[in-house]
Amino acid sequence: MLLALLVTTLGFATLIFAQESNSPPLIYGAYYAGTLLALYFGVRLILPHSDALLVPIVTLLTGVGLVMIYRLTFDVEGVENLATTQALWILIGCGTMFFMIVFFRNYHRLFDYKYLLALGAVMLIASVISPLGYEVNGARLWLALGPVSFQPSEFARIALIIFFAGYLAEKRDVMAATSNTVLGVQIPTLKYFGPVALVWGLSLLLLVFEKDLGSSLLFFAVPLLMLYAATGRIAYVLLGGILFAVGSYTAYLLFGHVQVRVRTWLDPWQDPNGEGYQILQSLFSISDGGLTGTGLGAGFSQSIPEVHTDFIFSAIASELGLLGAVAVLLTFLAFVYRGIKIALLAEDDASKLLAFGLTSMFALQTLVIVGGVTKAVPLTGITLPFVSYGGSSVVGNFVLAALLLVISEKVGQHEITDETLGEPMGRSLQEPAR
Amino acid sequence: MNRHLRRTFYLFAAGFVALTGLLAYWQVYARESLAENPDNSLQTQRAVQAPRGLILAGDGETALARSEERETDTGKAYDRVYPEGDLYADVVGYWSTRYGATGIEIGENSNLSGNVEPATLDDLINQMSGGPQPGNNITLTLDPDLQRLARDQISTSNTGKGSAVAIDPKTGEILAMASYPSYDPNNIDDRFPELSEDPAQPLLNRATQGLFVPGSIIKVITAGAALKSGVKPTDKFTDTGVYERPGYTVVNYDDNVYGQQTFAQSLALSINTVFAKVAIDEIGTDALYNTARDFGFGDTYEEFPLQVSPSDLGGGDLAQVAFGQDTASSNVFQMALVAAAIGNDGVMMEPRIVKEVRSPDGIILEKPGPRERQESLDAETADTLQDMMVGVVEDVHPEAKIPGIKVAGKTGTAEVPPRDPNSWFIASAPADDPEIAVAVLIENGGDGEDEALPAARDILSAYLKDNGG
Repeated sequence: MLLALLVTTLGFATLIFAQESNSPPLIYGAYYAGTLLALYFGVRLILPHSDALLVPIVTLLTGVGLVMIYRLTFDVEGVENLATTQALWILIGCGTMFFMIVFFRNYHRLFDYKYLLALGAVMLIASVISPLGYEVNGARLWLALGPVSFQPSEFARIALIIFFAGYLAEKRDVMAATSNTVLGVQIPTLKYFGPVALVWGLSLLLLVFEKDLGSSLLFFAVPLLMLYAATGRIAYVLLGGILFAVGSYTAYLLFGHVQVRVRTWLDPWQDPNGEGYQILQSLFSISDGGLTGTGLGAGFSQSIPEVHTDFIFSAIASELGLLGAVAVLLTFLAFVYRGIKIALLAEDDASKLLAFGLTSMFALQTLVIVGGVTKAVPLTGITLPFVSYGGSSVVGNFVLAALLLVISEKVGQHEITDETLGEPMGRSLQEPAR
Repeated sequence: MNRHLRRTFYLFAAGFVALTGLLAYWQVYARESLAENPDNSLQTQRAVQAPRGLILAGDGETALARSEERETDTGKAYDRVYPEGDLYADVVGYWSTRYGATGIEIGENSNLSGNVEPATLDDLINQMSGGPQPGNNITLTLDPDLQRLARDQISTSNTGKGSAVAIDPKTGEILAMASYPSYDPNNIDDRFPELSEDPAQPLLNRATQGLFVPGSIIKVITAGAALKSGVKPTDKFTDTGVYERPGYTVVNYDDNVYGQQTFAQSLALSINTVFAKVAIDEIGTDALYNTARDFGFGDTYEEFPLQVSPSDLGGGDLAQVAFGQDTASSNVFQMALVAAAIGNDGVMMEPRIVKEVRSPDGIILEKPGPRERQESLDAETADTLQDMMVGVVEDVHPEAKIPGIKVAGKTGTAEVPPRDPNSWFIASAPADDPEIAVAVLIENGGDGEDEALPAARDILSAYLKDNGG
């Protein structure tokens, strides 16, 4: 925890020297440190048995993100205050997290409302088609509520994962057992699979209409992985893969902006100053960083459009170099590791699936966007969790982390009970005390 | 279920590993090719974002290169401006975002661009914070008046092509370094293609990078080697006008026959046959080449910020190499150093063109002092040779004399058939304790005494007059 704060403070200190600006960043930095320190102790106090690493990891990631956003936007006209706004969002995220761990300690209640949550999720996604929604960069995923605008899909994702976790936990035995065989492949009975597929398909359809590729991918892949985890049937993954291929190809044929994304991924050099500009600038910036980076503030990643949101990783790689970028990736991996560990140790199926689903979404989102800016996969407009600028994304990820925390609290409580009872349960899954 | 969870985690971990690999590919393996990609403007952005340091002449006032601020739609940018135009172009060089850089601009780039080891606390903070850093300022050793005179001497010579280098023998400071034809570095981006095609080679720094047949000025090196081998200035030799070599006959310039002469007179009269005979009979290949090496032949002068093409005797016929023909080649800078070393009791000082480096706020970061480079000749031999070179001026070329000052010199008329010979003169003055040494080359200028000698004499006398010599 201290380390995370130290890194962030150092980053800010460097930037202050760099830009000869004085109080604002330091004051916000102090607020930031204070808030997250308070959050850390709050969590330790309320959930003493919860995973101790999650909050420090979140602190480090949001801290790195805040420093980078400040560095990338402080002198750009029109967006000078983005870092301040982001700091405010982090504050709201912390508040939400605190609220969640206080009021949703017994998160199993959430599963009771799973159908309601699913409905709410679909409504949230659908809401952007309403007159309140509006389009940014060709994708209609914003909702304006008075002065505040947010991306409902960020929250809909989490609601849907809760629904899937609850539903699959209830039905996994029947779903795994009853199936019809078609052409040697086991197809689950429609009766049980139906509701899942329905919600799934519906949300996908809506997303396709909203042209949000990144979210579509997550909506599709995360339930698929949960389904696999619940039933152990590789057939679901295969089936999903085929559906995904068909879906992607259809999307490719139907939507011009999908074609552009694929084209610039395959050969960005075709139109280096037009369609390929963004990805090429990203690659130039990344390669400019080299092993140790140009140094904070010395890079030129501001030439990348949308650098403070989707492309923030390119800026990190450019200014902190391979070493810094890998360190950030490792931090993400550490989060995923803790998440999966929580899922492994969780008592009941629903908790397992929930922790797994949330972690999978987090991992996939990271892989897809980092892969996107490094030209490993086609670009999809999603944020780098905790790091990218974006209120809904930040708050949504704090909610995600909060859910993981309450699940881990339950695990921790059980472990202690188990130890007092002397049962060697789940031993093999525990890592040595650190 | 846990089995599936773990498997999925391995899948994610593999994904992270793959991304790390990809990052390593972009940032290490493909780094250079991307940096050099013509669509990549990051390097030039970096180059124009921070002002480069000033380059000043030896008076510390005359600006030879400076960065001028310009407002662009993305912020400040800096253009490189050369107030003195083509006068210092061959030394200062150019800084082009399109065609690279030459001269001091590239030789001292780490200082000028500010990408140097931090020297002050401010530097350290600046570098840590990564803001655009102004470069350090560089003051050269060049004397502005002498530089202009040297350039004018070359440009007004009969062919208008050549080079002149003046050096302080005691300190190794380069006082003037001229090369002509030259170019204006201010519009290099527009004119580069045309300049690089020009047969007059305006982009070539003739002083350090041009290699020319040295002709008779090399005889001072041969004479030095001969003195070391035991030949005395008073030893008598008989010139019959020819010296036979297997398959080749050495003759004197203009087929002169001089009869019996001392070795000292042979240098003054520049008798080829005597030097051929001395080289073969008295010196030998090893001794001559060793002496040449002691004078800096074959050296690229790594510490000198300008690129130097090494002078070389080549592996040709010893008899002809001894008087500077056949495979012998030299640059003008090298011959100025030879004249300086002989005048400075045989000690060659490290040549220097950077007087000092200052940070943008005026703190001196580097101020290299005079340093001995090597002993080219022992003091006694060097003094004897210097006296012989005084004899060259006193007895044969009185037109090189400066009233009240003793001059040591040597002419060279290097044959480069089918064109007219290269006209050379090297000299130092005052001969007993030289304050300046020069080497002048006029390409295809004819006899050494006709073109190079008066140019060199004027440079010597102007400098000695201005500096109270």
